[in-house]
Amino acid sequence: MLKRVIQSQPQVSPLAPRISNHEDKQEAHAEVPSKRVSSMGELQLPDVAPENRITVFCMTKKRKKLSISEFERAAERRLPQYQAQSTLDSTIMTRSLHMSVGSLLAPDTVEKRGLFRRPKIRRAVDMQEFEGRVEQYMLKSKGQNYLVDSPSGIRTSILTSDAEMMMNTTELFVQPQLHEQSQNKSALEPQLSNLKTSAERSLISDADQEEARLEGLVSGVSTNEKRYSKSSRLDHEHVDRMTHISPQTPAKQQEEKQDHSHQSNGMAQISFTEEEVVCSIYRWSSSLSFTSSSKYLGSPVTLNISTISLREVVSHIIEDLEISETKEEMINAVNGVEQERIFQEAAEHGANAGYSEHLEKKLSEKADLQITAARDNRGETEMAPSAGEELAEGSIGAQGSPTADSEITKGIGAESLGRHSHAFSSFRKPEMTPLNETDEQGGELQDQAVMLELNSSVEEPAEDEAEYPASQEVSMKTPAFVRAPASNLLLSKPRVAKPASPRSPVQQLQPKVLPRRLGTSERKPREPQIPRSWIKEAFRHFAKMPVTTDAYRIVEKCCERYFQQLSDDLEAYTHHAGRKTVEAADLEVLMRRQGLVTDKTSLNVLIERHFPLQYRKLLIPVAVSGNKVISSS
Amino acid sequence: MKATVPRLTLRKTLKKHKPQLRLATNVDLLVHLNFLLFLHRLAEEARTNAFEDKSKIIKPEHTISAAKVILKKSRG
Repeated sequence: MLKRVIQSQPQVSPLAPRISNHEDKQEAHAEVPSKRVSSMGELQLPDVAPENRITVFCMTKKRKKLSISEFERAAERRLPQYQAQSTLDSTIMTRSLHMSVGSLLAPDTVEKRGLFRRPKIRRAVDMQEFEGRVEQYMLKSKGQNYLVDSPSGIRTSILTSDAEMMMNTTELFVQPQLHEQSQNKSALEPQLSNLKTSAERSLISDADQEEARLEGLVSGVSTNEKRYSKSSRLDHEHVDRMTHISPQTPAKQQEEKQDHSHQSNGMAQISFTEEEVVCSIYRWSSSLSFTSSSKYLGSPVTLNISTISLREVVSHIIEDLEISETKEEMINAVNGVEQERIFQEAAEHGANAGYSEHLEKKLSEKADLQITAARDNRGETEMAPSAGEELAEGSIGAQGSPTADSEITKGIGAESLGRHSHAFSSFRKPEMTPLNETDEQGGELQDQAVMLELNSSVEEPAEDEAEYPASQEVSMKTPAFVRAPASNLLLSKPRVAKPASPRSPVQQLQPKVLPRRLGTSERKPREPQIPRSWIKEAFRHFAKMPVTTDAYRIVEKCCERYFQQLSDDLEAYTHHAGRKTVEAADLEVLMRRQGLVTDKTSLNVLIERHFPLQYRKLLIPVAVSGNKVISSS
Repeated sequence: MKATVPRLTLRKTLKKHKPQLRLATNVDLLVHLNFLLFLHRLAEEARTNAFEDKSKIIKPEHTISAAKVILKKSRG
């Protein structure tokens, strides 16, 4: 080492600054290239150029000529270097430096002995991962913004909370991916797509991640895109699967989750929102550990009875996104077994003894099915608050009418989303065919029981509402457990914010009241009218005598008649000339025939007489001093 | 005399009567000229009528009779 240092002393010095310079440049460009793919080449080229110059200058005179091929090679090598460089990795930089330097030096001459070269430390694994991520990011960013900083995104991904992850855009049916990858992706594309898409993706990615972190980064990226497009298809598939959910028994949570994630995604609800919600739900569930509280499950189970309408799902998604405390929710939702227990507990806590009894019966029968099914589908994602809201919604609907309850329950049960504003309940759609089926099986009492349970668990006035569902026909069982986690979430999370937020949009959705037109009513198209004052003034000027007001009215009528005649005449003249546009010549002909223009008085004279200068200029070519002629257009 | 001419109103009026008819540039100014001259003639005729009636004010009857005459004259 010492020997090398001593030998390279004189030579190192010129190189050192270059290296540092190079490094600096690399550093400077590290972030930039990551930002822009397109500009990478540009950045690299100038980077390479000075380096070349420096190398040439420092190394030896032999190196003057750098073949183009070498340059290109160096540039090409640099490109991946820059691309991969998301972080200021010294190793990367040094490596790139070495690469560039090596490329420049190697072909030209024998390496100088004194050249100090840092050992090329290759973290193959890291780089690969990084590059893979970068590639994925690039692929995604191609269609989207390039501005997202991959390094920053990656970092943020790591640091981002679940909420952020939801924000990230991940495809609906993301196949099992590396957890990091999903995170990275999400971080990389924070700006992309709306919340919904991000929620979906995040959900999917999370679910996938937890389930199976096997797929490579690249595959994940490509699959994400595909999944997104296929989400619609998958939804259909899921719908079918949903129908089979009820018979499913609470199998392994993870497995079910996966299935449910897909199922939930493909839930009958073709609506995008549903998918999103499901995705978000799954994401939550996946992200959260399954071992989390059983208590959480209890609440959602109790809550989920009614089917979840699309809107509920959407609201849930929105809520999920808003709330960063997803983990807890997820945990709750995840545990299917716990849900069952919770559901039973909820049944126990049912406000109505009778209902509870009935509920227990039915619950025992179908609760398992529904719970497991619902939980699998939605349970993971269902948020306690959402469930609570659903319950509230359901209860509200129950108040309205038995059908409403059923709808509500269906809506809640159908899709896992626990959080729904009260308004959503009203908007439930019968889309949840699978849920409906299950709900029908469940029977009214189940729904009611669930409602009751949910209400009890939910701090909100859902309790009052829960009573109503009992009385009404609610057959959805699935929503019970779906709601349970939601209710739990509600309890745990600040409910005020949630119900308020979802309600507001829901209220807005309600019958739109057209804003009354105040003051500014529709303006009736006024007919073109020559201003009276103008006519009066002109007439008085011409008459040089006082004119009575009655006379003016007559003058107005005359004017109207006059215009009619005028237009007819002009049309006749123009048509006679074989034209469709009235020209000045036509006007002159008219005036001549009227007797206004005679041999004595020409048109120009008339113009000068009656028009101010600005108009005269327009009509008559004016000769101005300075040999300028202002001609009419 | 007014400084500005209601050019847009003239165009709209003509369009109302003859929607298919087009107007070239500055043609509406000539139309306005024609209109002014028409009013001029109308006023002159009304003044003459008032003189014949030995009144110092132009009355509607004078105007009506004047209008009949001038309108007939104005027809191309």
